[in-house]
Amino acid sequence: MEKRGDILIIEDDRDIVSSMRIILESRQYQVREAYDGKQGYAKIEEKMPDLIILDVMMSTETEGFELAYKLQNTTAYKKIPILMLSSFPKKMVEEGSEKFQHLLGDYWPVADFLEKPVEPEELLSAVENLIAQPKQP
Amino acid sequence: MIRSKEIPPRPVHDRTKGQVFFPIDLMKVFLWLIRLRWMAVAGGLIASWVVYTEDRAFPTLVVQGTLVVISGYNLIFYLLRRRMSAAAPLDERSVILVAHAQTAVDLLALFLLIGFTGGIYSPLLIFVFFPIVLIGIIFSPVGCFIYGTLVVMATGGLILMGEMDILPPPIAMVQNSLFGDRFGLIPYVCFVGAILATGVLVTATASRLRGKGSDLFRISRELDASNTKLAALYEMVKEMGLCSDLQKLMDTATRHATRIMGVKGCAIKLMDEEAKTLRFTSTYGLSQDYLAKGKIDIDKSPINRQIIEGAVCAIGSIDEKDYFQYPEDIRKEGIASMICLPLRVEKKIFGIFCVYSDESYCFGESDTKFFSLMTDLAAIAIENLRSGLLKLWFMMKVSHQLRSPMNAVYTMLKPMSGEYLGPLSVAQKDTLDKCLKRIKNLGELINDLLKLGEKKSEVAAPVWYPVDLVKIMRHMQDFYQTQARQKTIDFRVQIAADLPKVHANEKLIDELFTNLISNAIKYTPANGRVEVSLTRATNDRVCLEVSDTGIGVSEKDLPGLFAEFFRTDNAKAFTEEGTGLGLSIVKEILDRIGGTVHVESTLGQGSRFSCLLPNAPNPQPAPGAPSAG
Repeated sequence: MEKRGDILIIEDDRDIVSSMRIILESRQYQVREAYDGKQGYAKIEEKMPDLIILDVMMSTETEGFELAYKLQNTTAYKKIPILMLSSFPKKMVEEGSEKFQHLLGDYWPVADFLEKPVEPEELLSAVENLIAQPKQP
Repeated sequence: MIRSKEIPPRPVHDRTKGQVFFPIDLMKVFLWLIRLRWMAVAGGLIASWVVYTEDRAFPTLVVQGTLVVISGYNLIFYLLRRRMSAAAPLDERSVILVAHAQTAVDLLALFLLIGFTGGIYSPLLIFVFFPIVLIGIIFSPVGCFIYGTLVVMATGGLILMGEMDILPPPIAMVQNSLFGDRFGLIPYVCFVGAILATGVLVTATASRLRGKGSDLFRISRELDASNTKLAALYEMVKEMGLCSDLQKLMDTATRHATRIMGVKGCAIKLMDEEAKTLRFTSTYGLSQDYLAKGKIDIDKSPINRQIIEGAVCAIGSIDEKDYFQYPEDIRKEGIASMICLPLRVEKKIFGIFCVYSDESYCFGESDTKFFSLMTDLAAIAIENLRSGLLKLWFMMKVSHQLRSPMNAVYTMLKPMSGEYLGPLSVAQKDTLDKCLKRIKNLGELINDLLKLGEKKSEVAAPVWYPVDLVKIMRHMQDFYQTQARQKTIDFRVQIAADLPKVHANEKLIDELFTNLISNAIKYTPANGRVEVSLTRATNDRVCLEVSDTGIGVSEKDLPGLFAEFFRTDNAKAFTEEGTGLGLSIVKEILDRIGGTVHVESTLGQGSRFSCLLPNAPNPQPAPGAPSAG
């Protein structure tokens, strides 16, 4: 069967990763896994994914954002769409902390942002959207 | 305390030196002199006529001619004064010039009259003391001395002219003049002595007054300046209080500080958590080149180390001491003097606040004191916002830890219930869905608890401003319309025209509306109705009404409705959803913005929540005035 797209999940909670894998594989997506930012970056270098699903808080509170900015600043990886997941609503992240305020510039380095827990249908429609429309440069 | 030994005070331009009257006062003296001259002319005309009737030898014509000349120049001075008063501001130099002109012309006229009325034996001689007194008060001691000498010399001249019979003879009515009936050296010496004594006494007294006057002027100017500065400081603190973003707050502080202190630039350097480096977090008026140095290593910078340990650093001249690692950079930036103070709240120092001037010795003792006050206020504002953000950060972390396992369980169960892992029996799916519902509810409970906690503990004290309710309500309408339609509930929103803004903040109003509307929809069965309205209740209150045809609240449950975790029995029976915190959040928000809530409800028929929200105060109330709402 033809695979529909290569998705890299970067998330430190392995249970969540395996559940998302089940949902995504049910729609014929190819799923790769990484459990922190460093590992994730290595996997991207190994092979460019079509989409990255990225958690915010991993080994450090802002690891997800740091990786997203790093990718944004790398010409080769700039165009990979990122779907960000967080236990916090977007608004809370925006206003919440000096750490985020320092980090977040004028723009969010991600294409979409979903609050956990994510409904399977919600996840699938977000993924479909992002893979279908190539990210604007 | 590091302090360059002598910081000369900033030069004060003292306009009042050697002068007791300000131009405006001199103008009043002029008016008084002009009136006095009219009286003198009138008196002189009458007196000369009386004398003439007694003594036909009296040169009335010449005397009266002189008096006419006096009234002539008096008229000129009168007109001149009027013109000068009309021109604001007064030109100080021309006022002084006119004062000298009047004095000189008056003295000349007086001596002419004395000459015509018997010279040294003239009864008018006694009047020469008055100009001396006036001169002593108005002009400097030197001026008084010069005029005094002229008077003494003119009197001497009169004596000589009398001896040489140039002057008309003394009038017959005068038996004894000031000098008796014969000229002598001793009377003249006495006259000179009297003039001298008058001059000295008057100038000495005037000098003391003069000193007091200029003191008063200086004090009033200082008071005025410090008043202006304090008002500016108040503006600065007010604006900082409105910032919810740390960077904006610090930028506000540096911008205002530069303006208030009237200097080249200003900077805030914050210390990192390990107290090892300082980072320029906000600057104003400094070049990018100067900031390019980046972080400052505290261990390598003794001056910064001392400030971080609490020292006040006021440096009059960059060249004076080898305080700096790189004085070249500072000189290149055009900085000549500076004050740097620790940003401190209680005993905790977390950064440095600096002002930079391009003049050497720009800052005096009072500038340092004032800047110290400014620094303390800025420190409190920064620390307040930072600690609020830190508390919020802590809560975010707690919430993250609590929600992570719950999210994982939900995410794992969801594919199972969605039959991604294979088909389920009806009973299995039903049980799984119940589990999912409970977990979701737990998530909401954690959210609500955190929100309530945030409000109770006043984390990140909210900023109040006029809030446009219409915008938020339209947003709510869009959002809840879908939900209502799914439940076949008739959801209507009515908003009065010209609704005033409310004194609150958007986040709280958003939460208030969300809680009331979602509650109404949640507890209204299918085919019911939910109505929301916003109206102007009174002149200073807006009324928000949310009514539903839902399950209602029994009379016995009404008093406890706003208590935390309270859920009525009929609510529990109606739905598993609900944390019992929604209405406590509503109450908490209304308490904070100064609003009220009133509930009417009939069990089984529906409820009506009426909230009164305070209007935003009228724009631009006077500082310190009580707000209208």
